[in-house]
Formats: sequence, C-alpha cells, structure tokens
Amino acid sequence: MVLAPSMNKSLFIDISCSQIWKTNQNTCGDVFLSKRFPKERRVIAVLSDGLGSGIKANILGQMTATMLLRYVEQGRDIEKAAEVIMDTLPICRVRKISYSTFTVVDCHENGSVVIVEEGNPGFVWMRNGVHMEAEPEIIVSKKFSTRKMHRYKINMLPDDRLIFCSDGVTQAGLGSPRLKGGWQRSGLIEYSKTLLLDNPELTSKELARRITLAATYKCMDNFVKDDTSTAVLHVRTPRSVLVFTGPPFHMERDNEHSQRFIQFPGQKVICGGTTANIVSRELNRKKETTMASGDLPGISVMEGVDLVSEGILTLTRVLEYLENPPSKEIRDAAVSLASIFMENDCISFMVGAKMNQAYYDPEWPIELEIRKTVVRRIANILEEKYLKKVEIEFV
Amino acid sequence: MKKIDVEICFGTTCFVLGGSHLQELENSLDNDLKEKINIIPQNCLGLCKNENYSQAPYVKVNGQIIDRATIEKVINKIKCEINE
Ligand code: FES
Repeated sequence: MVLAPSMNKSLFIDISCSQIWKTNQNTCGDVFLSKRFPKERRVIAVLSDGLGSGIKANILGQMTATMLLRYVEQGRDIEKAAEVIMDTLPICRVRKISYSTFTVVDCHENGSVVIVEEGNPGFVWMRNGVHMEAEPEIIVSKKFSTRKMHRYKINMLPDDRLIFCSDGVTQAGLGSPRLKGGWQRSGLIEYSKTLLLDNPELTSKELARRITLAATYKCMDNFVKDDTSTAVLHVRTPRSVLVFTGPPFHMERDNEHSQRFIQFPGQKVICGGTTANIVSRELNRKKETTMASGDLPGISVMEGVDLVSEGILTLTRVLEYLENPPSKEIRDAAVSLASIFMENDCISFMVGAKMNQAYYDPEWPIELEIRKTVVRRIANILEEKYLKKVEIEFV
Repeated sequence: MKKIDVEICFGTTCFVLGGSHLQELENSLDNDLKEKINIIPQNCLGLCKNENYSQAPYVKVNGQIIDRATIEKVINKIKCEINE
C-alpha cells in the first residue's frame, strides 16, 4: 500500500475469471490463480486444467497453478518451472498424458506480456474488435518430446484484451448435431468480436462470464461435459475514485483538503456527516439529505460528488458486503459504495485524523481507531480479493 | 400557515443512540399533521459535538432542540407549535 493519493499514469490490468463446472461434479478441475504485484506493477495469472474432472482434477490443477505462480513470482523462468512441474506431477498411465495443461500470463502495466501455454487452447487477443494473431516460439520439453510449450511475447495497447480458456470452452457442444466439432477457437473469436463491438466497455468479469455462459449454452441438453473456464485480461487507463472520510486533523486545512477532494479527476465519495458538512461549508455547495431507510442512515446529495453517505456504520457495512456479497436485492448506501468500488481500479482514501468530539467520551473513546481499522480492512480486502490498487492518506 | 420544519438528525451518533426509529415519524402522523410539517433529514446537526447536548438523538422543531428524541416527544412538540 502506498501513501498519498496520486493519479497513476500507467495502465491498469483488469483481470477476472468465470467458471462453470462439469455437470454433476462438486468441484472444478480448472484452477485460476492470479496475483497483483503493486510494486513491480505487474500481474501474474495461471489457468490450469487438471486431467479428468472432480476432486482429483482440482488437486492436480491447484498444484500446477500454485507451483507455477510461485516460480514466476520468484523471477524464475517459466520454461524451467514448467519442466520441473512436468517432472514432479504424475502422468496418467493409460493416456500417457500428464497432470494438467496450463496457461501462464505475466503482464506488466506498460502492456508488455509474456504468455506460456502448455496444452490449453490458444489465447485470443482482441484490439478494436479485430483479432490479432501472435506468433509463438515453440519450446519442446527436453524430457518429453510430445510436450510442446508455446511462448509469446506481445505488447498490448490500452484497451486490448486477452482471453484465455480451458478446452471446455472451445470444445463446448462437441458431437452435437449443430456443432459437430464443438464451438472451437474460431467460434470463441467470432463471439468475442460481436460482444466487444456491441459493448466496448465490458469489464473483464462480465466478458468472462458471458463467454463461459455462451459456451455452456452450446452443450447438448444443458449437459456440460467438461469444466468450462474463461479468463479475461484487459489493460486500460485506470478508473479512480477518492473517498474522503472523517474531519481533517487541522481545522485550518479544511479548505485545502476540500479543494483537493473536489478537484480529484475521478469519482468522488464522502463518507461521514461531519466530513460532508465541512466540504459543503468550504466549497459553498448545498447538500440535501434523504431519509434513513432500514438500518443504515440515508445518503445526501451534493453537486459534483458521486455519493455522500454516513461514515462508520456505512463503511462497516461495506466491509461486510465485500466479505460476503449480499444475496438478496439490497439497496442501501453501502451497496452503492461497494458497487462504486467494483467499478473502479484505483481506490484512494483520504482519512481525516481528527477525533470526533462526539465520541470522545468514555462511551466512544475509539472512534478514530475504528475508522482507521475499518478503512484498512476495506483496503486489504479490495487489494487481495478484488485485486484493486488502494492508497490511504491520513489528513 | 407556514409549515413547521422538523429536522431529524441521521448522523452516526444520533442514529445509533435511537435515532433510527425516527424514520417512522412520517408514518406515525395523521394526515392532518402531515400536511402541516416539513420533514428535513439531516446528516449531523452538530449538536453531538457539544457536551451540553450529549443527549442524542436530536430533532429540531422550528429550530428548537429536542434531545433524546422519540416519535412521541416530536409529535407533542409539533402539536405545541401548532397551538401557539
Ligand atoms: S449526529 Fe446528530 S447531532 Fe451529530
């Protein structure tokens, strides 16, 4: 975590995976792992497809994906890592094919990407609705001559997308009257083209979800014959939001902080009644509050600010929602804030460090600590579970 | 007749100290009273910061502070205002 909100000039890597398991299996044999390395401005992801299905496939896939991620993370060569994994993991005696196939992606925020594929369908690279074909370098395993890895080095431009999948996607519908040879990579390319031309703003999460779903629709009688996974990587100019919460420590700097807040070049959120009153006063902007509804105070409306909510209770609820997304249709300030977080790539918090006098009595001695703790926990979960970039500044 | 302003505080302190119930104020009023008042939700009336007023939740009826506000207290105050 870096201190002090700043606009990041490098690209943001939006990566997500969507999976549907083979019908009647209780776990997925495809495993997707990804890790963001903020300091190195880099994301590493692995999609591995364990042999067979169910729990055995899942364990094989997990082992492969975890080992690859660790190796690449430590700066080791993917080629060598793959050899070691081939040596380590069991080979199916009957089929003479091994453990699991995989795709490893090592993507830097300047757009340079290395992709290594072993057995998985070839990735799809989309630019402005056109499919770009990349030339692989073929690496034959020193020990297993039947095994070939494809290595690609490509440079992505802003708004390019990469689509990776397990063979559950390309072979969807195999043997059905309509699609004897399955959906195939060409089907995937055509579908992605149409989707992206119609919805150029699609998030990686949504694009992956739609592709996986489309693949399973190709299956006969809704019987999904294989685990079906799609991972999408999108590099784009980051979308940012700044959250101002808590009154600043030095009252004399209220104006400076309010100005800095309103000039932020992204979405803007205020969490806290006192904070909202400060900004409203300093910038001379009217604010109207709505009725509370249910067990959270309502929101307020202020020109130029995307969301104005109450502070601690709402933030605490947001944390709950981020940990366990609510299943029923809930509409409260916390849901609105959580969705703003989901829509943005870089999330900055300006946390006022002034103790609210109201709580500065024996019953409320720890308000500031609560605010800091809640914000830190939100920041952690946004970074770890949702792969966002988060910055916190105390003012 | 000018409507009576009823400012209900939904700031954190007021909300957790019982103010959340005040959402129901409007539903507890008969139509006659409803027409005579103007409900204005607020996100902190600033009273919780003043030791003398450390008796949240707060409501202001025509600018007059009601501390430890309940629906009943607020309705009584509104009625007083109308009768004046
Ligand atoms: S929260 Fe009600 S007066 Fe401050």
